Amino acid sequence: MEKTIMTFHVDTSTGKKIGIAELSGRLDAISGSELQKSFRLWQQETRDIVFDCVKLDFIDSSGLGAVVSCLRKALEQSSDLRLAGLSKNVSMVFELTKAKKLFSIFPDTREAIKSFSTGNPA
Amino acid sequence: MKTLIVIREQEYEWLYHIFPDPHPLLIPICNKPFIEFLIDFSILAGSEAIRLVSDGSLRDVEHYCEQGSRWGVQISYGSMQESDDLDAVMEKNRRYCSNTRVLIIRGFVFIRYDKQNNYKTLFTSLPPGELRRCSHGSLTFTGTPGVEEQAPGPAPLSLVGLETIGVYYELCNEILRGGSLPYVLPGYSNETDCHIGRNVVMSKSCEIIKPVIIGNNVQILAGTVIGPGAIIGNNVIIDRESTVTESIVLDNTYIGEHLDLEKRIASGNILVEPESGAAITMEDPHLLTGMSTRRVSGALLHTLVHIIMAGLLIALEVIPFLLLLPILKLQGKWKKSRNTYYTSTSGNTVTLSTSAIERSGPLSLLAAALSLDRFPLLFRVFSGELALIASQPIAATPASRATLSRMSGYRAGVFSYAEAEDWPVEGSDTAIVERFYATHGNALLDIAMTWKALFNRVHEKQNV
Repeated sequence: MEKTIMTFHVDTSTGKKIGIAELSGRLDAISGSELQKSFRLWQQETRDIVFDCVKLDFIDSSGLGAVVSCLRKALEQSSDLRLAGLSKNVSMVFELTKAKKLFSIFPDTREAIKSFSTGNPA
Repeated sequence: MKTLIVIREQEYEWLYHIFPDPHPLLIPICNKPFIEFLIDFSILAGSEAIRLVSDGSLRDVEHYCEQGSRWGVQISYGSMQESDDLDAVMEKNRRYCSNTRVLIIRGFVFIRYDKQNNYKTLFTSLPPGELRRCSHGSLTFTGTPGVEEQAPGPAPLSLVGLETIGVYYELCNEILRGGSLPYVLPGYSNETDCHIGRNVVMSKSCEIIKPVIIGNNVQILAGTVIGPGAIIGNNVIIDRESTVTESIVLDNTYIGEHLDLEKRIASGNILVEPESGAAITMEDPHLLTGMSTRRVSGALLHTLVHIIMAGLLIALEVIPFLLLLPILKLQGKWKKSRNTYYTSTSGNTVTLSTSAIERSGPLSLLAAALSLDRFPLLFRVFSGELALIASQPIAATPASRATLSRMSGYRAGVFSYAEAEDWPVEGSDTAIVERFYATHGNALLDIAMTWKALFNRVHEKQNV
Protein backbone atom coordinates (compact mmCIF):
# COMPACT_ATOMS: atom_id res chain seq x y z
CA MET A 1 0.00 0.00 0.00
CA GLU A 2 1.35 3.38 -1.02
CA LYS A 3 2.13 5.56 1.98
CA THR A 4 0.96 9.13 2.41
CA ILE A 5 3.76 11.59 2.92
CA MET A 6 3.03 15.03 4.33
CA THR A 7 5.71 17.67 4.47
CA PHE A 8 5.25 21.20 5.67
CA HIS A 9 7.20 24.39 5.23
CA VAL A 10 6.47 28.08 5.47
CA ASP A 11 6.77 30.30 2.42
CA THR A 12 7.54 33.99 2.88
CA SER A 13 8.28 34.89 -0.75
CA THR A 14 5.31 37.27 -0.94
CA GLY A 15 6.03 38.88 2.41
CA LYS A 16 3.25 36.91 4.04
CA LYS A 17 3.71 33.72 5.99
CA ILE A 18 1.94 30.99 4.04
CA GLY A 19 2.15 27.37 5.12
CA ILE A 20 2.68 24.88 2.32
CA ALA A 21 1.69 21.31 3.07
CA GLU A 22 2.75 18.89 0.38
CA LEU A 23 0.53 15.84 0.30
CA SER A 24 1.56 12.81 -1.69
CA GLY A 25 0.29 9.26 -2.17
CA ARG A 26 -3.13 8.33 -0.85
CA LEU A 27 -5.43 10.29 1.41
CA ASP A 28 -7.85 7.90 3.10
CA ALA A 29 -9.29 7.28 6.57
CA ILE A 30 -5.91 6.57 8.18
CA SER A 31 -3.89 9.33 6.56
CA GLY A 32 -6.89 11.69 6.85
CA SER A 33 -6.78 11.34 10.60
CA GLU A 34 -3.02 12.06 10.57
CA LEU A 35 -3.65 15.09 8.38
CA GLN A 36 -6.14 16.52 10.85
CA LYS A 37 -3.67 16.08 13.71
CA SER A 38 -0.86 17.65 11.71
CA PHE A 39 -3.10 20.50 10.59
CA ARG A 40 -3.58 21.62 14.19
CA LEU A 41 0.20 21.85 14.58
CA TRP A 42 0.62 23.67 11.27
CA GLN A 43 -2.00 26.20 12.32
CA GLN A 44 0.20 27.14 15.26
CA GLU A 45 2.95 28.13 12.81
CA THR A 46 0.91 30.03 10.26
CA ARG A 47 -2.66 31.20 9.69
CA ASP A 48 -3.08 30.58 5.98
CA ILE A 49 -2.23 27.23 4.50
CA VAL A 50 -2.01 25.76 1.00
CA PHE A 51 -2.32 22.03 0.36
CA ASP A 52 -0.03 21.18 -2.53
CA CYS A 53 -1.75 18.16 -4.07
CA VAL A 54 0.44 17.68 -7.16
CA LYS A 55 1.69 14.33 -5.87
CA LEU A 56 -1.61 13.27 -4.32
CA ASP A 57 -2.75 10.28 -6.37
CA PHE A 58 -5.88 9.18 -4.56
CA ILE A 59 -8.48 10.55 -2.19
CA ASP A 60 -11.56 8.80 -0.83
CA SER A 61 -14.56 10.11 1.08
CA SER A 62 -12.77 9.82 4.42
CA GLY A 63 -9.77 11.73 3.07
CA LEU A 64 -12.09 14.32 1.63
CA GLY A 65 -13.82 14.58 5.01
CA ALA A 66 -10.42 15.27 6.58
CA VAL A 67 -9.65 18.06 4.09
CA VAL A 68 -13.09 19.61 4.68
CA SER A 69 -12.51 19.34 8.42
CA CYS A 70 -9.20 21.21 7.98
CA LEU A 71 -11.01 23.92 6.03
CA ARG A 72 -13.58 24.22 8.79
CA LYS A 73 -10.81 24.60 11.39
CA ALA A 74 -9.12 27.24 9.25
CA LEU A 75 -12.35 29.21 8.82
CA GLU A 76 -13.04 29.01 12.56
CA GLN A 77 -9.71 30.81 13.08
CA SER A 78 -10.63 33.37 10.38
CA SER A 79 -7.84 32.05 8.20
CA ASP A 80 -8.04 30.08 4.97
CA LEU A 81 -7.04 26.80 3.41
CA ARG A 82 -6.47 26.72 -0.35
CA LEU A 83 -5.71 23.82 -2.63
CA ALA A 84 -3.26 23.65 -5.49
CA GLY A 85 -2.30 21.22 -8.24
CA LEU A 86 -5.17 18.76 -8.07
CA SER A 87 -4.63 15.76 -10.33
CA LYS A 88 -7.44 14.62 -12.61
CA ASN A 89 -8.39 11.77 -10.28
CA VAL A 90 -8.53 13.94 -7.20
CA SER A 91 -10.26 16.76 -9.05
CA MET A 92 -13.01 14.42 -10.25
CA VAL A 93 -13.69 13.32 -6.68
CA PHE A 94 -13.93 16.97 -5.60
CA GLU A 95 -16.38 17.66 -8.43
CA LEU A 96 -18.43 14.57 -7.78
CA THR A 97 -18.85 15.35 -4.11
CA LYS A 98 -19.48 19.07 -4.70
CA ALA A 99 -16.44 19.80 -2.50
CA LYS A 100 -14.98 21.89 -5.33
CA LYS A 101 -17.48 24.61 -4.45
CA LEU A 102 -16.13 24.82 -0.91
CA PHE A 103 -12.48 25.41 -1.74
CA SER A 104 -10.37 27.93 -3.56
CA ILE A 105 -8.45 25.74 -5.97
CA PHE A 106 -5.42 26.83 -8.00
CA PRO A 107 -3.48 25.14 -10.79
CA ASP A 108 -0.20 25.33 -8.83
CA THR A 109 1.21 26.38 -5.47
CA ARG A 110 2.70 29.62 -6.82
CA GLU A 111 -0.75 30.83 -7.89
CA ALA A 112 -2.22 29.80 -4.57
CA ILE A 113 0.46 31.69 -2.61
CA LYS A 114 -0.02 34.76 -4.80
CA SER A 115 -3.78 34.70 -4.21
CA PHE A 116 -3.29 35.42 -0.51
CA SER A 117 -1.50 38.66 -1.38
CA THR A 118 -3.91 39.76 -4.08
CA GLY A 119 -6.89 38.73 -1.98
CA ASN A 120 -8.23 36.95 -5.01
CA PRO A 121 -9.65 33.55 -4.16
CA ALA A 122 -10.16 31.30 -7.23
CA MET B 1 -32.49 -8.98 -48.59
CA LYS B 2 -29.84 -9.89 -46.05
CA THR B 3 -27.48 -7.85 -43.88
CA LEU B 4 -23.84 -8.60 -43.22
CA ILE B 5 -22.36 -6.69 -40.29
CA VAL B 6 -18.55 -6.72 -40.26
CA ILE B 7 -16.89 -5.24 -37.20
CA ARG B 8 -13.24 -5.72 -36.31
CA GLU B 9 -12.13 -6.04 -32.71
CA GLN B 10 -9.56 -3.27 -33.09
CA GLU B 11 -12.40 -0.87 -33.93
CA TYR B 12 -14.17 -1.37 -30.63
CA GLU B 13 -11.43 -2.57 -28.28
CA TRP B 14 -10.88 0.98 -26.97
CA LEU B 15 -14.16 0.59 -25.12
CA TYR B 16 -12.82 -2.41 -23.20
CA HIS B 17 -10.20 -0.16 -21.63
CA ILE B 18 -12.89 2.13 -20.26
CA PHE B 19 -15.75 -0.29 -19.59
CA PRO B 20 -14.51 -3.89 -19.29
CA ASP B 21 -18.14 -4.96 -19.19
CA PRO B 22 -20.43 -5.30 -21.21
CA HIS B 23 -19.17 -6.35 -24.67
CA PRO B 24 -18.67 -3.13 -26.71
CA LEU B 25 -21.34 -4.19 -29.20
CA LEU B 26 -23.78 -4.35 -26.28
CA ILE B 27 -22.87 -0.94 -24.87
CA PRO B 28 -26.16 0.81 -24.17
CA ILE B 29 -27.04 3.87 -26.20
CA CYS B 30 -29.97 5.44 -24.37
CA ASN B 31 -30.46 2.12 -22.57
CA LYS B 32 -30.65 0.16 -25.80
CA PRO B 33 -27.66 -2.04 -26.72
CA PHE B 34 -25.74 -0.71 -29.71
CA ILE B 35 -26.25 -3.91 -31.71
CA GLU B 36 -30.04 -3.52 -31.44
CA PHE B 37 -29.88 -0.26 -33.41
CA LEU B 38 -28.11 -2.13 -36.23
CA ILE B 39 -30.68 -4.92 -36.07
CA ASP B 40 -33.56 -2.40 -36.13
CA PHE B 41 -32.04 -0.64 -39.11
CA SER B 42 -31.48 -3.93 -40.97
CA ILE B 43 -35.13 -4.84 -40.42
CA LEU B 44 -36.27 -1.40 -41.61
CA ALA B 45 -34.11 -1.95 -44.69
CA GLY B 46 -36.05 -5.14 -45.38
CA SER B 47 -33.55 -7.75 -44.24
CA GLU B 48 -34.80 -11.19 -43.31
CA ALA B 49 -31.42 -12.44 -42.14
CA ILE B 50 -28.50 -10.78 -40.38
CA ARG B 51 -25.00 -12.17 -40.03
CA LEU B 52 -22.56 -10.65 -37.59
CA VAL B 53 -18.90 -11.22 -38.44
CA SER B 54 -15.94 -10.24 -36.29
CA ASP B 55 -12.38 -11.29 -35.53
CA GLY B 56 -13.09 -10.87 -31.81
CA SER B 57 -15.22 -12.93 -29.47
CA LEU B 58 -18.96 -12.60 -30.07
CA ARG B 59 -19.98 -14.96 -27.29
CA ASP B 60 -21.74 -12.31 -25.19
CA VAL B 61 -23.46 -10.84 -28.23
CA GLU B 62 -24.60 -14.29 -29.32
CA HIS B 63 -25.87 -14.96 -25.82
CA TYR B 64 -27.86 -11.72 -25.90
CA CYS B 65 -29.24 -11.80 -29.47
CA GLU B 66 -29.49 -15.60 -29.80
CA GLN B 67 -30.98 -16.57 -33.16
CA GLY B 68 -32.92 -13.31 -33.53
CA SER B 69 -36.40 -14.70 -32.85
CA ARG B 70 -37.06 -11.68 -30.62
CA TRP B 71 -36.91 -9.46 -33.70
CA GLY B 72 -38.40 -11.94 -36.15
CA VAL B 73 -35.18 -12.24 -38.18
CA GLN B 74 -32.59 -14.97 -38.52
CA ILE B 75 -29.35 -13.90 -36.83
CA SER B 76 -26.18 -15.90 -37.41
CA TYR B 77 -22.56 -15.34 -36.44
CA GLY B 78 -19.31 -15.73 -38.30
CA SER B 79 -15.61 -15.27 -37.68
CA MET B 80 -12.86 -13.73 -39.72
CA GLN B 81 -9.11 -13.25 -39.57
CA GLU B 82 -7.71 -9.91 -38.45
CA SER B 83 -5.98 -9.64 -41.85
CA ASP B 84 -9.13 -10.36 -43.89
CA ASP B 85 -10.32 -7.52 -46.09
CA LEU B 86 -13.95 -7.12 -47.07
CA ASP B 87 -13.51 -9.27 -50.20
CA ALA B 88 -12.09 -12.08 -48.10
CA VAL B 89 -15.00 -11.79 -45.67
CA MET B 90 -17.46 -11.88 -48.58
CA GLU B 91 -15.71 -14.93 -49.96
CA LYS B 92 -15.93 -16.70 -46.60
CA ASN B 93 -19.66 -15.90 -46.45
CA ARG B 94 -20.27 -16.67 -50.14
CA ARG B 95 -23.19 -18.99 -49.52
CA TYR B 96 -24.87 -16.50 -47.22
CA CYS B 97 -24.40 -13.65 -49.68
CA SER B 98 -25.27 -15.46 -52.92
CA ASN B 99 -28.52 -15.00 -54.87
CA THR B 100 -29.74 -12.05 -52.88
CA ARG B 101 -29.10 -8.41 -52.21
CA VAL B 102 -26.84 -7.83 -49.24
CA LEU B 103 -26.53 -4.71 -47.17
CA ILE B 104 -23.00 -4.64 -45.74
CA ILE B 105 -22.48 -2.57 -42.60
CA ARG B 106 -18.74 -2.28 -42.07
CA GLY B 107 -17.07 -0.81 -39.01
CA PHE B 108 -18.04 0.19 -35.48
CA VAL B 109 -20.48 2.78 -36.73
CA PHE B 110 -23.83 4.04 -35.56
CA ILE B 111 -26.38 4.59 -38.31
CA ARG B 112 -28.49 7.67 -37.85
CA TYR B 113 -31.84 6.73 -39.35
CA ASP B 114 -35.49 7.58 -38.90
CA LYS B 115 -37.91 4.74 -38.37
CA GLN B 116 -40.62 6.73 -40.14
CA ASN B 117 -38.83 6.47 -43.49
CA ASN B 118 -39.51 3.62 -45.85
CA TYR B 119 -35.97 2.31 -46.30
CA LYS B 120 -37.18 -0.99 -47.70
CA THR B 121 -38.66 0.60 -50.82
CA LEU B 122 -35.77 3.02 -51.14
CA PHE B 123 -33.09 0.33 -50.91
CA THR B 124 -34.83 -2.01 -53.34
CA SER B 125 -34.15 0.36 -56.20
CA LEU B 126 -30.58 1.34 -55.28
CA PRO B 127 -27.78 0.08 -57.54
CA PRO B 128 -24.95 -1.96 -55.99
CA GLY B 129 -22.09 0.00 -54.49
CA GLU B 130 -21.24 2.16 -51.55
CA LEU B 131 -24.15 4.10 -50.11
CA ARG B 132 -22.52 5.92 -47.22
CA ARG B 133 -19.02 6.18 -45.85
CA CYS B 134 -17.36 7.76 -42.86
CA SER B 135 -13.82 7.52 -41.56
CA HIS B 136 -14.72 4.45 -39.50
CA GLY B 137 -17.02 2.45 -41.74
CA SER B 138 -19.41 2.25 -44.61
CA LEU B 139 -22.76 1.02 -45.89
CA THR B 140 -22.57 -0.95 -49.13
CA PHE B 141 -25.02 -2.88 -51.29
CA THR B 142 -24.24 -5.95 -53.37
CA GLY B 143 -26.52 -7.80 -55.76
CA THR B 144 -28.98 -6.57 -58.30
CA PRO B 145 -31.83 -4.29 -57.33
CA GLY B 146 -35.35 -5.74 -57.09
CA VAL B 147 -36.83 -3.10 -59.35
CA GLU B 148 -35.35 -0.98 -62.10
CA GLU B 149 -32.22 0.85 -61.03
CA GLN B 150 -32.60 4.46 -60.10
CA ALA B 151 -30.05 7.11 -59.40
CA PRO B 152 -29.38 7.01 -55.64
CA GLY B 153 -31.42 9.72 -53.96
CA PRO B 154 -30.45 11.36 -50.72
CA ALA B 155 -31.19 8.46 -48.39
CA PRO B 156 -32.14 9.93 -45.00
CA LEU B 157 -29.34 8.38 -43.02
CA SER B 158 -25.78 9.08 -41.97
CA LEU B 159 -22.97 7.28 -40.18
CA VAL B 160 -21.21 8.12 -36.94
CA GLY B 161 -17.93 6.34 -36.26
CA LEU B 162 -17.81 5.34 -32.60
CA GLU B 163 -14.17 6.13 -32.03
CA THR B 164 -13.99 7.87 -28.65
CA ILE B 165 -15.97 8.06 -25.46
CA GLY B 166 -16.70 11.69 -26.32
CA VAL B 167 -18.45 10.64 -29.55
CA TYR B 168 -20.40 8.01 -27.62
CA TYR B 169 -21.51 10.61 -25.06
CA GLU B 170 -22.52 13.12 -27.72
CA LEU B 171 -24.43 10.46 -29.62
CA CYS B 172 -26.37 9.43 -26.52
CA ASN B 173 -27.20 13.08 -25.85
CA GLU B 174 -28.28 13.61 -29.44
CA ILE B 175 -30.66 10.63 -29.32
CA LEU B 176 -31.95 11.63 -25.91
CA ARG B 177 -32.74 15.15 -27.07
CA GLY B 178 -34.14 13.94 -30.40
CA GLY B 179 -36.47 11.68 -28.47
CA SER B 180 -38.12 8.52 -29.60
CA LEU B 181 -39.36 9.81 -32.97
CA PRO B 182 -36.49 8.41 -35.09
CA TYR B 183 -35.70 5.33 -32.95
CA VAL B 184 -37.49 2.77 -30.85
CA LEU B 185 -36.27 3.34 -27.30
CA PRO B 186 -36.97 1.15 -24.28
CA GLY B 187 -39.31 2.14 -21.47
CA TYR B 188 -42.75 3.66 -21.08
CA SER B 189 -43.28 7.05 -22.65
CA ASN B 190 -46.14 9.35 -23.41
CA GLU B 191 -43.77 12.16 -24.30
CA THR B 192 -40.96 11.82 -26.81
CA ASP B 193 -38.23 12.96 -24.43
CA CYS B 194 -39.12 11.06 -21.29
CA HIS B 195 -38.84 7.28 -21.02
CA ILE B 196 -39.25 5.36 -17.81
CA GLY B 197 -38.66 1.63 -17.40
CA ARG B 198 -40.26 -1.01 -15.21
CA ASN B 199 -39.96 -1.20 -11.43
CA VAL B 200 -38.74 2.37 -10.99
CA VAL B 201 -39.16 3.60 -7.44
CA MET B 202 -39.03 7.35 -7.04
CA SER B 203 -39.16 9.24 -3.80
CA LYS B 204 -41.82 11.91 -3.56
CA SER B 205 -39.18 14.55 -3.07
CA CYS B 206 -37.07 13.69 -6.11
CA GLU B 207 -37.18 15.91 -9.16
CA ILE B 208 -37.14 14.57 -12.72
CA ILE B 209 -36.37 17.10 -15.43
CA LYS B 210 -36.79 16.21 -19.10
CA PRO B 211 -35.20 15.03 -21.32
CA VAL B 212 -34.57 11.89 -19.36
CA ILE B 213 -34.42 8.13 -19.83
CA ILE B 214 -34.65 5.84 -16.83
CA GLY B 215 -34.14 2.08 -17.11
CA ASN B 216 -35.65 -0.86 -15.25
CA ASN B 217 -35.22 -1.62 -11.53
CA VAL B 218 -34.11 1.85 -10.54
CA GLN B 219 -34.39 3.45 -7.12
CA ILE B 220 -34.28 7.22 -6.95
CA LEU B 221 -34.14 8.28 -3.35
CA ALA B 222 -35.23 11.43 -1.57
CA GLY B 223 -34.05 14.83 -2.64
CA THR B 224 -32.37 13.70 -5.85
CA VAL B 225 -32.48 15.70 -9.05
CA ILE B 226 -32.40 13.66 -12.25
CA GLY B 227 -31.94 15.59 -15.48
CA PRO B 228 -32.04 17.44 -17.67
CA GLY B 229 -30.12 15.22 -20.04
CA ALA B 230 -29.83 12.21 -17.76
CA ILE B 231 -29.71 8.63 -18.94
CA ILE B 232 -30.09 6.19 -16.07
CA GLY B 233 -29.49 2.52 -16.90
CA ASN B 234 -30.98 -0.63 -15.41
CA ASN B 235 -30.48 -1.76 -11.83
CA VAL B 236 -29.29 1.60 -10.55
CA ILE B 237 -29.63 3.29 -7.18
CA ILE B 238 -29.29 7.06 -6.93
CA ASP B 239 -28.92 7.77 -3.25
CA ARG B 240 -30.27 10.75 -1.34
CA GLU B 241 -29.70 14.36 -2.34
CA SER B 242 -27.60 13.51 -5.40
CA THR B 243 -27.83 15.29 -8.72
CA VAL B 244 -27.45 13.69 -12.14
CA THR B 245 -27.44 16.18 -15.01
CA GLU B 246 -26.28 15.71 -18.59
CA SER B 247 -24.79 12.42 -17.50
CA ILE B 248 -25.06 8.75 -18.28
CA VAL B 249 -25.31 6.21 -15.49
CA LEU B 250 -24.80 2.78 -17.00
CA ASP B 251 -26.34 -0.45 -15.67
CA ASN B 252 -25.61 -1.85 -12.21
CA THR B 253 -24.32 1.34 -10.67
CA TYR B 254 -24.77 2.83 -7.22
CA ILE B 255 -24.43 6.60 -6.91
CA GLY B 256 -23.82 7.57 -3.31
CA GLU B 257 -25.41 10.34 -1.28
CA HIS B 258 -24.94 14.06 -1.87
CA LEU B 259 -23.04 13.62 -5.12
CA ASP B 260 -23.09 15.82 -8.16
CA LEU B 261 -22.74 14.02 -11.48
CA GLU B 262 -22.54 16.56 -14.23
CA LYS B 263 -21.40 15.78 -17.78
CA ARG B 264 -20.02 12.43 -16.68
CA ILE B 265 -20.47 8.76 -17.43
CA ALA B 266 -20.64 6.42 -14.47
CA SER B 267 -20.44 2.67 -14.87
CA GLY B 268 -20.03 0.56 -11.75
CA ASN B 269 -17.16 2.22 -9.94
CA ILE B 270 -15.74 3.83 -13.09
CA LEU B 271 -16.25 7.53 -13.61
CA VAL B 272 -15.48 9.03 -17.00
CA GLU B 273 -15.13 12.59 -18.15
CA PRO B 274 -16.29 12.31 -21.79
CA GLU B 275 -14.71 15.55 -22.90
CA SER B 276 -11.15 14.49 -22.09
CA GLY B 277 -11.74 10.76 -22.01
CA ALA B 278 -10.20 10.59 -18.51
CA ALA B 279 -11.52 7.63 -16.57
CA ILE B 280 -10.96 6.92 -12.92
CA THR B 281 -11.79 3.86 -10.91
CA MET B 282 -13.37 4.91 -7.65
CA GLU B 283 -12.05 2.85 -4.78
CA ASP B 284 -14.52 4.33 -2.34
CA PRO B 285 -17.74 2.30 -2.46
CA HIS B 286 -19.66 4.99 -0.57
CA LEU B 287 -19.28 7.30 -3.55
CA LEU B 288 -19.67 5.18 -6.62
CA THR B 289 -19.70 1.46 -7.04
CA GLY B 290 -20.93 -1.42 -9.11
CA MET B 291 -23.85 -3.53 -8.03
CA SER B 292 -24.39 -7.20 -8.55
CA THR B 293 -27.90 -8.45 -9.02
CA ARG B 294 -28.77 -10.82 -6.24
CA ARG B 295 -30.33 -13.85 -7.85
CA VAL B 296 -32.91 -16.05 -6.14
CA SER B 297 -30.22 -18.70 -5.63
CA GLY B 298 -27.99 -16.02 -4.05
CA ALA B 299 -30.76 -14.93 -1.70
CA LEU B 300 -31.41 -18.55 -0.74
CA LEU B 301 -27.72 -19.12 -0.06
CA HIS B 302 -27.67 -15.93 1.97
CA THR B 303 -30.58 -17.10 4.13
CA LEU B 304 -29.08 -20.57 4.48
CA VAL B 305 -25.75 -19.16 5.64
CA HIS B 306 -27.53 -17.00 8.22
CA ILE B 307 -29.46 -20.03 9.52
CA ILE B 308 -26.31 -22.19 9.76
CA MET B 309 -24.41 -19.41 11.52
CA ALA B 310 -27.31 -18.83 13.92
CA GLY B 311 -27.40 -22.59 14.66
CA LEU B 312 -23.67 -22.57 15.31
CA LEU B 313 -23.94 -19.63 17.69
CA ILE B 314 -26.85 -21.26 19.52
CA ALA B 315 -24.77 -24.44 19.96
CA LEU B 316 -21.85 -22.41 21.31
CA GLU B 317 -23.88 -20.23 23.64
CA VAL B 318 -26.60 -22.53 24.93
CA ILE B 319 -24.64 -23.80 27.94
CA PRO B 320 -23.30 -20.39 29.10
CA PHE B 321 -26.81 -18.99 28.55
CA LEU B 322 -28.53 -21.69 30.65
CA LEU B 323 -25.93 -21.33 33.41
CA LEU B 324 -25.70 -17.55 33.57
CA LEU B 325 -29.32 -16.53 32.92
CA PRO B 326 -30.79 -17.68 36.29
CA ILE B 327 -27.91 -16.09 38.20
CA LEU B 328 -28.17 -12.76 36.39
CA LYS B 329 -31.95 -12.79 36.80
CA LEU B 330 -31.58 -13.37 40.51
CA GLN B 331 -29.05 -10.53 40.70
CA GLY B 332 -31.47 -8.31 38.79
CA LYS B 333 -28.89 -7.67 36.08
CA TRP B 334 -30.91 -9.23 33.22
CA LYS B 335 -33.46 -6.68 32.06
CA LYS B 336 -36.10 -7.56 29.51
CA SER B 337 -38.31 -5.35 27.43
CA ARG B 338 -40.84 -6.00 24.69
CA ASN B 339 -41.13 -3.88 21.64
CA THR B 340 -42.37 -4.07 18.06
CA TYR B 341 -39.89 -3.60 15.24
CA TYR B 342 -40.03 -3.38 11.49
CA THR B 343 -38.56 -6.50 9.91
CA SER B 344 -38.04 -5.09 6.40
CA THR B 345 -38.87 -2.17 4.14
CA SER B 346 -42.22 -3.81 3.36
CA GLY B 347 -43.40 -2.54 6.77
CA ASN B 348 -43.96 -5.99 8.32
CA THR B 349 -43.42 -5.98 12.04
CA VAL B 350 -42.33 -8.41 14.71
CA THR B 351 -42.65 -8.16 18.46
CA LEU B 352 -39.41 -9.02 20.17
CA SER B 353 -38.36 -9.51 23.77
CA THR B 354 -35.02 -7.80 23.88
CA SER B 355 -32.64 -8.14 26.80
CA ALA B 356 -30.07 -5.85 28.32
CA ILE B 357 -27.34 -6.90 30.73
CA GLU B 358 -26.23 -4.56 33.47
CA ARG B 359 -22.46 -4.56 33.12
CA SER B 360 -21.23 -4.91 36.65
CA GLY B 361 -19.49 -7.92 38.10
CA PRO B 362 -17.58 -10.64 36.31
CA LEU B 363 -20.57 -12.84 35.42
CA SER B 364 -22.57 -10.07 33.77
CA LEU B 365 -19.45 -8.89 31.94
CA LEU B 366 -18.88 -12.42 30.70
CA ALA B 367 -22.52 -12.74 29.61
CA ALA B 368 -22.32 -9.43 27.77
CA ALA B 369 -19.01 -10.37 26.15
CA LEU B 370 -20.60 -13.56 24.86
CA SER B 371 -23.55 -11.51 23.53
CA LEU B 372 -25.95 -13.68 25.54
CA ASP B 373 -28.45 -10.81 25.45
CA ARG B 374 -28.89 -11.61 21.74
CA PHE B 375 -29.21 -15.37 22.33
CA PRO B 376 -33.05 -15.51 22.35
CA LEU B 377 -33.14 -13.50 19.10
CA LEU B 378 -31.04 -16.09 17.26
CA PHE B 379 -34.10 -18.38 17.05
CA ARG B 380 -35.88 -15.68 15.03
CA VAL B 381 -33.35 -16.25 12.24
CA PHE B 382 -34.81 -19.73 11.69
CA SER B 383 -38.29 -18.29 11.17
CA GLY B 384 -36.91 -15.65 8.80
CA GLU B 385 -38.19 -12.77 10.96
CA LEU B 386 -34.65 -11.54 11.55
CA ALA B 387 -31.42 -11.79 9.62
CA LEU B 388 -28.35 -12.83 11.61
CA ILE B 389 -26.61 -9.64 10.59
CA ALA B 390 -28.32 -6.69 8.91
CA SER B 391 -29.59 -3.33 10.12
CA GLN B 392 -30.23 -2.23 13.67
CA PRO B 393 -33.97 -3.02 14.21
CA ILE B 394 -36.13 0.09 13.88
CA ALA B 395 -38.92 0.36 16.46
CA ALA B 396 -42.31 0.40 14.73
CA THR B 397 -43.75 3.83 15.40
CA PRO B 398 -45.63 6.22 13.09
CA ALA B 399 -42.58 8.52 13.10
CA SER B 400 -40.16 5.77 12.14
CA ARG B 401 -42.34 4.66 9.21
CA ALA B 402 -41.00 7.63 7.23
CA THR B 403 -37.43 6.66 8.16
CA LEU B 404 -38.13 3.12 6.99
CA SER B 405 -39.29 4.30 3.58
CA ARG B 406 -35.88 5.94 3.08
CA MET B 407 -33.93 2.89 4.25
CA SER B 408 -33.34 1.13 0.96
CA GLY B 409 -32.64 -2.58 1.57
CA TYR B 410 -33.40 -2.41 5.30
CA ARG B 411 -33.73 -5.71 7.13
CA ALA B 412 -33.74 -6.12 10.91
CA GLY B 413 -30.87 -8.23 12.21
CA VAL B 414 -29.76 -9.84 15.45
CA PHE B 415 -26.45 -8.05 14.94
CA SER B 416 -25.99 -4.92 12.89
CA TYR B 417 -23.40 -3.97 10.31
CA ALA B 418 -22.75 -0.82 12.32
CA GLU B 419 -21.68 -2.99 15.27
CA ALA B 420 -19.38 -4.95 12.97
CA GLU B 421 -17.84 -1.75 11.67
CA ASP B 422 -17.64 -0.42 15.24
CA TRP B 423 -19.68 2.65 14.35
CA PRO B 424 -22.08 4.27 16.77
CA VAL B 425 -25.37 2.40 16.31
CA GLU B 426 -27.39 5.60 15.95
CA GLY B 427 -27.19 8.44 13.47
CA SER B 428 -26.99 9.11 9.76
CA ASP B 429 -23.50 7.62 9.36
CA THR B 430 -24.84 4.31 10.61
CA ALA B 431 -27.62 4.48 8.04
CA ILE B 432 -25.01 4.92 5.30
CA VAL B 433 -22.97 1.92 6.51
CA GLU B 434 -26.03 -0.26 6.85
CA ARG B 435 -27.42 0.77 3.48
CA PHE B 436 -24.08 0.06 1.87
CA TYR B 437 -23.92 -3.47 3.23
CA ALA B 438 -27.60 -4.03 2.53
CA THR B 439 -26.82 -3.36 -1.12
CA HIS B 440 -23.42 -5.02 -1.35
CA GLY B 441 -23.59 -7.72 1.27
CA ASN B 442 -23.10 -11.36 0.38
CA ALA B 443 -23.08 -14.61 2.29
CA LEU B 444 -19.31 -14.73 2.77
CA LEU B 445 -19.11 -11.11 3.82
CA ASP B 446 -21.92 -11.67 6.31
CA ILE B 447 -19.98 -14.49 8.00
CA ALA B 448 -16.99 -12.21 8.41
CA MET B 449 -19.15 -9.30 9.57
CA THR B 450 -20.92 -11.46 12.17
CA TRP B 451 -17.60 -12.49 13.70
CA LYS B 452 -16.46 -8.87 13.61
CA ALA B 453 -19.65 -7.79 15.40
CA LEU B 454 -19.14 -10.48 18.04
CA PHE B 455 -15.52 -9.48 18.49
CA ASN B 456 -16.39 -5.79 18.76
CA ARG B 457 -18.99 -6.54 21.38
CA VAL B 458 -16.38 -8.44 23.46
CA HIS B 459 -13.99 -5.56 23.02
CA GLU B 460 -16.67 -3.04 23.91
CA LYS B 461 -17.48 -4.81 27.15
CA GLN B 462 -13.82 -5.08 28.16
CA ASN B 463 -13.53 -1.33 27.91
CA VAL B 464 -16.47 -0.80 30.21
